[in-house]
Amino acid sequence: MKSLFLNLALERSKTVFTVSVLVAGLLLGLVIWPTVYPEKALGLHAAKVDTDPENMLPADEPARVTHNRLKLEFGLKDMLVVGVTADQEANGVFNPRTLHDVFDLVEAAEQMYWENGDGVSGVVRADIIAPSTVDAIEQAGLGVVSFRWMMPEPPETEEAALAIARTASNLPMFASSMVSDDEKALALYFPLTEKSASFKVANELRAVIAGFGGEDRYYIAGLPVAQDQFGKEMFVQMAISAPAAMALIFVLMWLFFGNLKLVVSPMIVAILAVVVAMGLLVVTGNTIHIMSSMIPIFIMPIAVLDAVHILSDFFDKYPITRDRKTAIRGVLSELWSPMLFTSITTSVGFASLALTPIPPVQVFGIFVAIGTLFAWLFTVLLIPAYIMLLPESSLDGFGSADAKSGQEKSWMAILLRVGGRFSFGRAKLVVLMAVGLLAFSIVGVTRIVINDNPVKWFEEDHEIRVADTEMNERLAGTYMAYLAFEAPGLERESFTLPVLDAAKDLPEPSRTALSQRLDEIDYGTFDENRFLTLQDWVLDAQEKVESDNEWDAWEKVNLALESHWAAGAFFKTPEALVEIEALEAFILQNEHVGKVLGLPEIVKTLHRELFEGDELRYRIPDSSNAVAQSLMTYESSHRPRDLWHFVTPDYRKTVLWIQLKSGDNVDMSNLLQNVNTYLADSELSASARAEWFGLTYINVIWQEQMVAGMMKAFLGSFVTVLVLMILLFRSFWWGLLSMIPLAVTITVIYGMLGWVGKAYDMPVAVLSSLSLGLAVDYAIHFIARSREAYAKAGNWKDAMDEAFAEPARAIARNIIVIGLGFSPLLLAPLVPYQTVGVLISSILVLAGLTTLLLLPALIRLIPALGKE
Amino acid sequence: MNNRMKSLAIVTLAFLVVSASAIDVDEIVSNASKAAYYQGKDGKAKLSMTITDAQGRERQRELTILRRNNDDESGDQKFFVYFERPSDVKGTTFLVWKRADGDDERWLYLPALDLVKRIAASDERTSFVGAHYFYEDVSGRHESMDTHELVEETVDYYVLKSTPRDSKLAEFASYRSWIHKGTFLAVKIEYGDEQGEVYRTYEALDVQQIDGYYTVVKGRMTDNRIGGYTTVTNREIEYGIGLEDGLFDERSLRNPPRRQLK
Repeated sequence: MKSLFLNLALERSKTVFTVSVLVAGLLLGLVIWPTVYPEKALGLHAAKVDTDPENMLPADEPARVTHNRLKLEFGLKDMLVVGVTADQEANGVFNPRTLHDVFDLVEAAEQMYWENGDGVSGVVRADIIAPSTVDAIEQAGLGVVSFRWMMPEPPETEEAALAIARTASNLPMFASSMVSDDEKALALYFPLTEKSASFKVANELRAVIAGFGGEDRYYIAGLPVAQDQFGKEMFVQMAISAPAAMALIFVLMWLFFGNLKLVVSPMIVAILAVVVAMGLLVVTGNTIHIMSSMIPIFIMPIAVLDAVHILSDFFDKYPITRDRKTAIRGVLSELWSPMLFTSITTSVGFASLALTPIPPVQVFGIFVAIGTLFAWLFTVLLIPAYIMLLPESSLDGFGSADAKSGQEKSWMAILLRVGGRFSFGRAKLVVLMAVGLLAFSIVGVTRIVINDNPVKWFEEDHEIRVADTEMNERLAGTYMAYLAFEAPGLERESFTLPVLDAAKDLPEPSRTALSQRLDEIDYGTFDENRFLTLQDWVLDAQEKVESDNEWDAWEKVNLALESHWAAGAFFKTPEALVEIEALEAFILQNEHVGKVLGLPEIVKTLHRELFEGDELRYRIPDSSNAVAQSLMTYESSHRPRDLWHFVTPDYRKTVLWIQLKSGDNVDMSNLLQNVNTYLADSELSASARAEWFGLTYINVIWQEQMVAGMMKAFLGSFVTVLVLMILLFRSFWWGLLSMIPLAVTITVIYGMLGWVGKAYDMPVAVLSSLSLGLAVDYAIHFIARSREAYAKAGNWKDAMDEAFAEPARAIARNIIVIGLGFSPLLLAPLVPYQTVGVLISSILVLAGLTTLLLLPALIRLIPALGKE
Repeated sequence: MNNRMKSLAIVTLAFLVVSASAIDVDEIVSNASKAAYYQGKDGKAKLSMTITDAQGRERQRELTILRRNNDDESGDQKFFVYFERPSDVKGTTFLVWKRADGDDERWLYLPALDLVKRIAASDERTSFVGAHYFYEDVSGRHESMDTHELVEETVDYYVLKSTPRDSKLAEFASYRSWIHKGTFLAVKIEYGDEQGEVYRTYEALDVQQIDGYYTVVKGRMTDNRIGGYTTVTNREIEYGIGLEDGLFDERSLRNPPRRQLK
């Protein structure tokens, strides 16, 4: 295979080059065509962006199915939240001017929806929560309760403005969520038909807000906006940071090799590999997700890495003969199997991500693996071909000046020689230091906190983060989690037996007929119509009887029917509501919980307002009927439908709205754990089934799955790579040795994360695979070349001297080029990219250092290796 | 034709129609109101409401309404409402003294709390016990709250466009009603927003002649903004049954007139 490739590259350079570029060009065309001309897509897939963290879970993942089902059932929408403050005013936003603006903003928002093929997209007008769109339930004189719009028009006076604050604060539905506890700030909630509408709505809101004078501040927050913003910046990222990294790598290589034309070749390889990988990704119908947008950034160092090895070796070999073909053949015969194996191990590392249960991570892993293999293909074909195509003259002066003498005098060469002698000579000290570092790191690893928060993917001074911080400081919290309860359906026996018991006084034929009718009801679905039909039948029978006794007998049946049917409406019963109330109090004690809202608050508020606003009446009424009648009063307001965001019309399911001030998964996990422990011993869970949902909860689920899946993927690929290494070196010990830089690198990196306090999040998780790919690369190159040197020299001391010449220089050049090359990622406005930038550099430096320092020491100390 | 031209044309057309027709707008409105809310001296009906929400879930409410027009021809009326179903609200009663000019007075009695409450509402466009109908749709919107114009006359219908005098007191920008020429019953009413988009629609689904009066026995209100609809079926409709004024009293809330309700 090697000679086939070499001959192709060297003898048919032009063809090889043209074909490669054509393939990449074709793929690019297949992506661009349907994207630019979607109407003439010819069945091709256009580039689709997907920034929805929900898609971290497969669509059929149970937690997600539950999430969607319950969202639909309770009519809950993703919301865009606008916070308003006016701290320059004595009463904050509760002044006529600001409230006028707020009124106008909401009125404008009511129109922010548009036709969208098969329906309407945008703001769900009927569900906006703002002073002008909700009802105030309050006292209007002795014995009078009033339902009126809280702010039907902007107030004219300061007093009227303040009254609105007081009214809202007095209503648990709005206190601390719509109006801040200090009655100075407001939050407006705009539910959206779907998350993707948030970008347009947010922009339209900003345009309206821009028209307001004054120093009032408006903050737009909510996960949907964050996601949209992320999608947009992701592209900026791909368009600016990734090319910037590429440009820097280019400049660095130019500095090292001093030949502009030659260093263009790794760039070509990298670009082609990225184009082919991304092209295949889109063509196969995959979406560009937060994860897959990072594919180019991962493929680039991998592609450049091998190219740098070739160039580096060529740089050192070319001056010796000044014949391209000879030099290249020499270079490739040395590098062929290390390069092949490094590419395979890198691919395996990334492909192992397909074992995680997170679809975007799977796609990411598979396409980086594909990109890696293409990078290898392009490297072994195009770099030799490229060198052949250059005019001979452009290689004038190329190469290490001292190459012939074998005694390079550059600072790097000297440093490496000294380093090599130190690590080989002071093997015990080096190993001791490494063990110390490992121990320190392992302690760090135990301190790692698993956490993520999509809002924190933005930098702290980003508009989104600022809004998030400000609003969570002043209001109940912008992160929603929901806890739903479902009561079981009616049981046949518990309904039919008491009813038949109450029918004792009926004549036998009527009893039999009743019994038959009772059997026809489907108790599991709790279908009210079936019950009403049955009741109608009873009432008709009652009408027709002649004796008073029989009439009374039917009446007993009717009452039994009603009371036992009512028991099925579980969440109308005071017992259930009191249980829920206790749970709410428990949830509220948890850290970061700003507010819990549920059916009890609505019932209690109604009860209080029906009784002259008496605070002592802020409690669950004593009977189901009292609950039902209080709620019917609520249903006589402007927004009766709001009730169904808390309970289903059959009162068999209810949901608690939990507002958290922190969207950190770790905080949500703690809450989950505490509440689930509480529920385990509670009456409530004995009678009703609890289910969590909401974006904050979904985030926890995918993170849990990712951590577990990542562990599996990592261990799986570690073993696979180990086996490959043993095969490559045809030695167990050498195979094991080659895994050491990788093991050390990962332990130290994660140890440092633990010590620094940086959470284990999505980008950190996938980087373990990158380490697997890159760290083992250096080890393969170093060990392969060292063993060749040993074969020549016959003793390890001289072999190490040789290994620390050209092979070590190639590794060092790689570390510097790629390590520094990723620094532009630090300027990225998105934190995951910064994390990736820092960690790629750290991985490269660490893996390089452990390879160069630790391996020689180990080679000396492990007898099994030295004997060879 | 641009919008201004259009509206000019419509206004002109409306004038032509008005001058051509034998009846003027106010008379149509007044007749329609009578047909819908004032038939006979008094009346009774049992209403079955099926509230269907946007998800297709249904809820039933059953209630009996007694009505009596005041003797003074002022247009004032009194209503008494008794809730029958669902069983947990059974016995809840509701009393309204409707004023033709001015705010209605409303009382509510909740038996489980043994509580009589007066209800004050700044407007009457609040839901009627959770249905898509508003309180105002049940009791009748005051004619004087809107300006009315006849925008079209077909063989069977007068089509009126009504615009609120005070736009702050209504969530709609205007509504159109199709008034049947023979009976003066509104068979369709469409409520539109500022953009002229219809978001709420009332339809009469069944009309019967009862005791000599044409009566809507089945109607439906659909609301696109919140989704879903409510269907109301009237049964056991009776007119002129001799309800006494004293019956429509606060005391009846706790002690509903069983005989008349039966």
